[in-house]
Amino acid sequence: MPDTVSININGVAHDVEAGQRLIVAAESVGEVIPRFCHHDKLEPVGKCRMCLVEVEGPRGKVLMPSCTLLVSDGMVVDTESAVVKKAQEGVLEFLLINHPLDCPICDKGGECPLQDQTMQWGPGESRFVEAKRNFEKPIPVSDVVLLDRERCVLCDRCVRAADDIAGDPLLTFIDRGNHVQIQTFPNEPFSSYFSGNTVQLCPVGALTSVDYRFKARPWDLGHTRSVSFVDTVHSSVDAQTSRGKLVRVYGIENDRVNEGWLSDKDRFIFSAVHSPDRVTAPLVRGDDGFEEASWSDAMALVASRLGGYLGGEVGAIGGANNTNEEAYTLAKFMRSVVGSSNLDAQLGDGLNPHLAATVTPRATIDDLDRAATIFVWGPDLKETLPVLYLRVRKAVRNGATLVVASPAGTGLDAIAAHVVRYRAGSGSDVLRKFASGDKGYEGAREALDAGPVVGLVGRSSLAEDPMMAEAAAGVVRSLPDSKLLTLLTRANIYGALDMGLAPNLLPGRVSTADDEHAEMLEDAWGHLPRGTGRSTTQMLEDLASGAMRAMVLVGADPVRDCPDPGLAQRALEAAEFVVAFDAFVTDSSIHADVILPAAVWGEVSGTATNLEGRVQEVNASVRPAGQARSLNAALDDIAHLMGVDLRAAKVADVTREIAAVAPAYAGITPDHLTFESDGDGVIVPLEGEQPLKFIPVEVSVPVVTSRLTLHFPDALYDDGVWNRNAPTIAGLARQAEARLHPRDASMLPVHEGDIVSIEERFVMPVTLDDTVPVGSIVVPRNVVGTKGLTASTSVKVEAVEGGA
Amino acid sequence: MTWISDLLGPFKGFAVTMRQVGKPRVTRKYPQEKRVKPPRFHGRHVLNRYEDGMEKCIGCELCAGVCPANCIYVRGADNPPDNPVSPGERYGFVYEINMLRCIYCAMCVEACPTEAITMTHLFEMSVTSKEDAIYTKDELLVDPDGTPNHPQAESPLIDVKELRLGDGWMRATSSAGRAEYEGVVAWTPQARNPDLPVEAGQSAESTGGDDG
Ligand code: SF4
Ligand code: SF4
Ligand code: SF4
Ligand code: FES
Repeated sequence: MPDTVSININGVAHDVEAGQRLIVAAESVGEVIPRFCHHDKLEPVGKCRMCLVEVEGPRGKVLMPSCTLLVSDGMVVDTESAVVKKAQEGVLEFLLINHPLDCPICDKGGECPLQDQTMQWGPGESRFVEAKRNFEKPIPVSDVVLLDRERCVLCDRCVRAADDIAGDPLLTFIDRGNHVQIQTFPNEPFSSYFSGNTVQLCPVGALTSVDYRFKARPWDLGHTRSVSFVDTVHSSVDAQTSRGKLVRVYGIENDRVNEGWLSDKDRFIFSAVHSPDRVTAPLVRGDDGFEEASWSDAMALVASRLGGYLGGEVGAIGGANNTNEEAYTLAKFMRSVVGSSNLDAQLGDGLNPHLAATVTPRATIDDLDRAATIFVWGPDLKETLPVLYLRVRKAVRNGATLVVASPAGTGLDAIAAHVVRYRAGSGSDVLRKFASGDKGYEGAREALDAGPVVGLVGRSSLAEDPMMAEAAAGVVRSLPDSKLLTLLTRANIYGALDMGLAPNLLPGRVSTADDEHAEMLEDAWGHLPRGTGRSTTQMLEDLASGAMRAMVLVGADPVRDCPDPGLAQRALEAAEFVVAFDAFVTDSSIHADVILPAAVWGEVSGTATNLEGRVQEVNASVRPAGQARSLNAALDDIAHLMGVDLRAAKVADVTREIAAVAPAYAGITPDHLTFESDGDGVIVPLEGEQPLKFIPVEVSVPVVTSRLTLHFPDALYDDGVWNRNAPTIAGLARQAEARLHPRDASMLPVHEGDIVSIEERFVMPVTLDDTVPVGSIVVPRNVVGTKGLTASTSVKVEAVEGGA
Repeated sequence: MTWISDLLGPFKGFAVTMRQVGKPRVTRKYPQEKRVKPPRFHGRHVLNRYEDGMEKCIGCELCAGVCPANCIYVRGADNPPDNPVSPGERYGFVYEINMLRCIYCAMCVEACPTEAITMTHLFEMSVTSKEDAIYTKDELLVDPDGTPNHPQAESPLIDVKELRLGDGWMRATSSAGRAEYEGVVAWTPQARNPDLPVEAGQSAESTGGDDG
């Protein structure tokens, strides 16, 4: 129970929580004080003076900014006196001195705090007849944000968000007095992964986004609360539509997950939903390429072909970009109708499904706020899980000690107390030294011994052995008072694993080896093949060798995303029959015999599970493009054609069935999830223990050595099909580059900007970087120019003659 | 005696007729003959232009937002800098009014910050399909010389001159309804003050800013 103090606002006594700002306390008891610079998630600065109130003090009543003032016992406040009114009118009159009459064309018009507060608290009329300031407008401060400086009210929100929250101090005020203006630094654009947040929190229309500019007005927007499917954090978003199209995505303050912040990818990727390249009708391979077909013909073909194989000859890859209901239906379809356990939502790019889905003790995202030490072993959070990166930054700002281990520089290094750098492929050596607190690692070891510790553990790149993460998890687990979060990154992969889209998992975090649960599931489903199926890599190998014959691809692009793209290519070419549920013709679905148009994020409803195991609602905001359908509806029809009733046509039925048969999801009802009730979703399992508990132990991982070992990390803006189809961010896709330590470069020999070849096929320019350990080469994965590169740790690197 | 009054009943009706014979007629030979409409008559809308031919509409959607019948559809777009459609940054890229839904309340006219949309005295808009009742920007926009467009050719039924008569209501209610603002366009499409130098940005690509 927090302490309370009693304050008197406008003659009414209130008991409010101690230690808060007056503006927040007043709001909590229903007295709204106008403000521009105050923002719940930012440090107070008291810049705008809109929140002036009269507070009684030893020298009588004085005007004080309520956003910087802490409540104290016995405080007497007047928010409505004539003096306050005069102050508010004066402040607004000053703010409007240089403010243009832009409302009709301003993207903020209709939802603008300056408009609203001028109406409510401002003077009725302007006395200002002089010339206003004149700016070049708008100036692009980054690829996604535009700035109209004359609209700025100098509130400092964007500066604080960029500096404190995102750690990208790229905005500032220049000049003084009447000439002050918000600006970027000379020739340094506001290129932050979080720049879109400033558009949302700017209290005026000074910062606007390129892709929403002049698209719609607030009064014709439809709002749908949903979660972002860009990564596994599942940030709460408000998907805003106009005339049946998504036009804008805003963050929603879900304090347990994203606190209102989004990455620019969360914010701007939605335009791919309306890409003209979407597959909008079923495509069936004819004599010369794909031909459009009707759903009934295409499904009849799929049903008859899939029915013609033995269960084990068919496999399914994908399902991570789907809702839990779709994933569950896929698992049920493959296991009970096709009779195959060859299921994998990961593309050989992830972790042991048991580790990811059932690790204990599992941390929640807000455990970070309570941790004394945060240990990150895995991918660069800034590139892969940007909102989690913000949460770690916040925890560190509030005093947590951060220990980061990775094979190359990461976004978190700057705020880490201890950075452990190891050469790609030799993680286990370092981990051992580190665990035993060897010389040079004592500091980090000491930090880890001071609990509570939250370990964020993942695979630093596709080239790393997935066992490495297990080894690291084992070390974290051995620490006193420690919890773990695993770092898979693809959309709803945790939901997919929980729904049994893994060769060794059944729905509800049950191992396939658990006979008791398997029997129960067999009763519910009618049929269930026992035993463990094949993983993606095994499936691709078996397809290539002919041991398997058919493949179901669900929104998966193994040719781009699995560690050995060549193998995926060969496998899909060798397969007798491939059916792809996909929204786009990708490098993989182009090998399909049938492509069924899939409804995607924004078009389907259901639930999804994030990396901490939080189940939240996903809501459709627009209709599926063309004839696209949700996976559960399509599979339900196909199963009917094969003589089985999946009972999956309606999402609500599937949600109910999941709650009935998936142990970890027992007891979940729509009431738990609807955003009206609480809004933040629930962590599963709600009650009791889940049947499978994965306890990581220290394992030894072989060390890979070669002259140069490859670190192959993911980039936020990659060359994936979604990024490519979202025009706002497509241009931001990273280009291939090889980062080398100067010492290695001099041995090749190459200089900055020279061209090297990797595996004799991939050529790219060299960047010298002394944060790269000697003996490593860092190449971003799946960016322009690295498509098809096999993720093996040891690579052959040569200087290309005649390099620039 | 009811039978007597019953017998006379029909003749009472004739008496009414006879009383009217010789009085002036109130019906008109429409459409040959038209009534003079009151100055604030709300007829079909037009989209106006400035004297230099630029469109007044800036695509702000205020008219669409205020419309109680929800019959206006507007989309804004960036003005092409080399060939601007309207002054300022934004112009009305799509503009449609569904005349079947419109209730001719002139709220759009009141809301418009640029007096781009005004009403005329034209009310003859019979159409043969529902689609034709949706007036698009092409039909609503006046010609560069100020002549309103009309889908039908000029004929005894279409008095284009009538279209030129502005809607008195708009004048009376412009700019918060104050008489001294009559005829004054309150919103200025000129975002810049010509007397002050333009302050440039700091990046190299920003035009005029070479201070980087
Ligand atoms: S920032 Fe607000 S007040 Fe200023 S022009 Fe835009 S809508 Fe109007
Ligand atoms: S640009 Fe917006 S957020 Fe930034 S200081 Fe100006 S008004 Fe505030
Ligand atoms: S007609 Fe007027 S109110 Fe309607 S969009 Fe155009 S400028 Fe805005
Ligand atoms: S909100 Fe208090 S000074 Fe701005």
